[in-house]
Amino acid sequence: MRLLVVEDEKKAGEYLKKGLEESGFTVDIATNGVDGLHNALEEDYALIVLDIMLPGMDGWEVLKRLRATRDTPVLFLTAMDELEERVKGLELGADDYLAKPFAFVELLARIRTLLRRGPPRDIEHMHIGDLEIDAVRRRVRRGGQRVDLTPREFSLLQLLARRRGEVLSRTQIASYVWDMNFDSDTNVVEVAIRRLRSKIDDGFEVKLIHTVRGMGYVLDLEHEEE
Amino acid sequence: MRHSLTARLTITFVVITVTCFSVVGFLLFQAVSRRIYIHDQTNIMLDARHLRRLAEEMASPADVATHKDRLIALVLGDNAEGLRVTDRDGHALIDHVPMGYELPAQPVVPAEQRIVPESIRSWKDHDGNEIRGVATAATLQDGQSITITVARSLADRTALLDKYRGDVALSLFTGLLVAVLLSYLLVRRALRPLTSMAESASAITAQRLSTRMPLQDAPTELLALAASLNDMLARLEQGFARVWQFTVDLAHDLRTPIGNLRGASEVALNRHRSTAEYEALLGSNIEECDRVSRTIESVLFLARAECPQFALQRVKLDTEQELHRIADYFEGLSSEAGVAIRVDASATVHADRDLFRRAVNNLLSNALRYTPSGRTIDLRAANTEQGVDVIVENPGQGIDPEHLDKLFDRFYRVDRSRSDSASSTGLGLSIVKSIMELHGGSVSVQSQADRTRFTLHFPHAHRFV
Repeated sequence: MRLLVVEDEKKAGEYLKKGLEESGFTVDIATNGVDGLHNALEEDYALIVLDIMLPGMDGWEVLKRLRATRDTPVLFLTAMDELEERVKGLELGADDYLAKPFAFVELLARIRTLLRRGPPRDIEHMHIGDLEIDAVRRRVRRGGQRVDLTPREFSLLQLLARRRGEVLSRTQIASYVWDMNFDSDTNVVEVAIRRLRSKIDDGFEVKLIHTVRGMGYVLDLEHEEE
Repeated sequence: MRHSLTARLTITFVVITVTCFSVVGFLLFQAVSRRIYIHDQTNIMLDARHLRRLAEEMASPADVATHKDRLIALVLGDNAEGLRVTDRDGHALIDHVPMGYELPAQPVVPAEQRIVPESIRSWKDHDGNEIRGVATAATLQDGQSITITVARSLADRTALLDKYRGDVALSLFTGLLVAVLLSYLLVRRALRPLTSMAESASAITAQRLSTRMPLQDAPTELLALAASLNDMLARLEQGFARVWQFTVDLAHDLRTPIGNLRGASEVALNRHRSTAEYEALLGSNIEECDRVSRTIESVLFLARAECPQFALQRVKLDTEQELHRIADYFEGLSSEAGVAIRVDASATVHADRDLFRRAVNNLLSNALRYTPSGRTIDLRAANTEQGVDVIVENPGQGIDPEHLDKLFDRFYRVDRSRSDSASSTGLGLSIVKSIMELHGGSVSVQSQADRTRFTLHFPHAHRFV
């Protein structure tokens, strides 16, 4: 899928391009608002990542002019995490926003959510290797053996399984599983993952839950980090 | 337009002075002209009565003509007065009008009727001057009737009053000039303390906030102003000191992770390393970045909370449900630490859901850090007279009293060298305090030798509308 990143800061543009390309996207970079708008109108992008502070024409203006003819999904990046900024962006027709500095996995997750089309994966029954999750009866089996999980552990496993292969940050996990929508300096999520892992992975050759150091956690059959 | 106090006061004084002068001048003028009027009326009336009585003693019209000097003598002293006596047929027996004005025919007061001021008529001569006079009949000894007319020209009176009016206007004008000048000078003088206060105030800069306004020379009226200026200065000074301290602490807090980032990266680049080592370094770098981000986020939260436009999304929160949820969130962490969390709550608060959770969360993670294994942390919520109290109480070594009142200060850490300062920003309790202030409530702490209790006081719902 082809994405456009409008970002004037060279380093930021470079790492965004690299990171997104390694996540399977084709990425074009525009370093100012005028070029960004031009590309956005000429090409057919699946999604646009738009910085607000841009030389020439700012992100708001780009967004406004783009929305006059196109409804390409737009995720905007802002350095000022003020409520008015967010409201303004969403009113102008942006689909989501992220405040700088942000975790790259968070950006990736937002992009994937915006691009997710069609029905979500079959969530009633999930099979990942020899792991089976029955969402209706809230039962989990690993290698045919029943695994007893607390309700929270089940929610956590379900989240990781639904987003199989996606790295989820601690903040995302805290928000989805416990509805705690703020950055906490506690290692609650770490502990929860550790306990879940001991129930799911201990004693099995193939590990399913992987830690991506500094970024978060991912559930998959294999992950290159480990 | 900018108002000058001097100009305003001067104008006020001048208006007052001129108004007083005008009113007094007008009243005096009225009084004088009234007195002159009454004087003239009385004279004319008395002269007429006198002349009638004299004439009635005379035998015949011829006798009147003969003795006309006696009658004229009555009006002789005043040139403005005139006298005419006519007989039944209208022939003039006496015609003495030194100023030569007309004495037109007019209603005659009958001989037997008393002459009163109302009988006096008024008319104009050729030059437009007012003449006042009265005509009366008199019966002579022989039974014949004559008509006596007495009049007085008011030309001299009008001239006198005109001059008087001129004098009043002139003194009014002089008074106005004097009033303007005097009030301007006096007001300026009276306002001099203000000017000197302004001078002292302008000497105060951010570098010299310890300067205070001199109170001893200030007049009573300015004392309150000077005192409140001084209070404001004291608050400003405190605020500046706090901002300064905050900046220093913030810089220190950012310096540590940035130092780690730089140091670890430099060491790593010193020689070739395995991929695993590079990966470990990058992972650690991300953790340091997260630490910086968290500090920035916390500082921004605190700054935003001080902005009056901060929008709370208050909802009804069942504390039992909320505290259980938070306890549940910490379940893994606490059971690893061998600490139990007990919830006992039965109240409803009106609060912003995320902020409520964040406040309790910060207190609980704090409590968890200090609770020894095998003990229990209490989470309680109950109605009080003032509102709802949410309590987080943990056993374990208490906090020294010297730290208690600084506990909620930004970046304040009881033990500066604590090893876990890396994981906590030192802003957690300040954030709790900010959150409570946003809700119109407060946070307090009590600590004994073996227990510490933090209480969040939420005021009643109606108190903050």
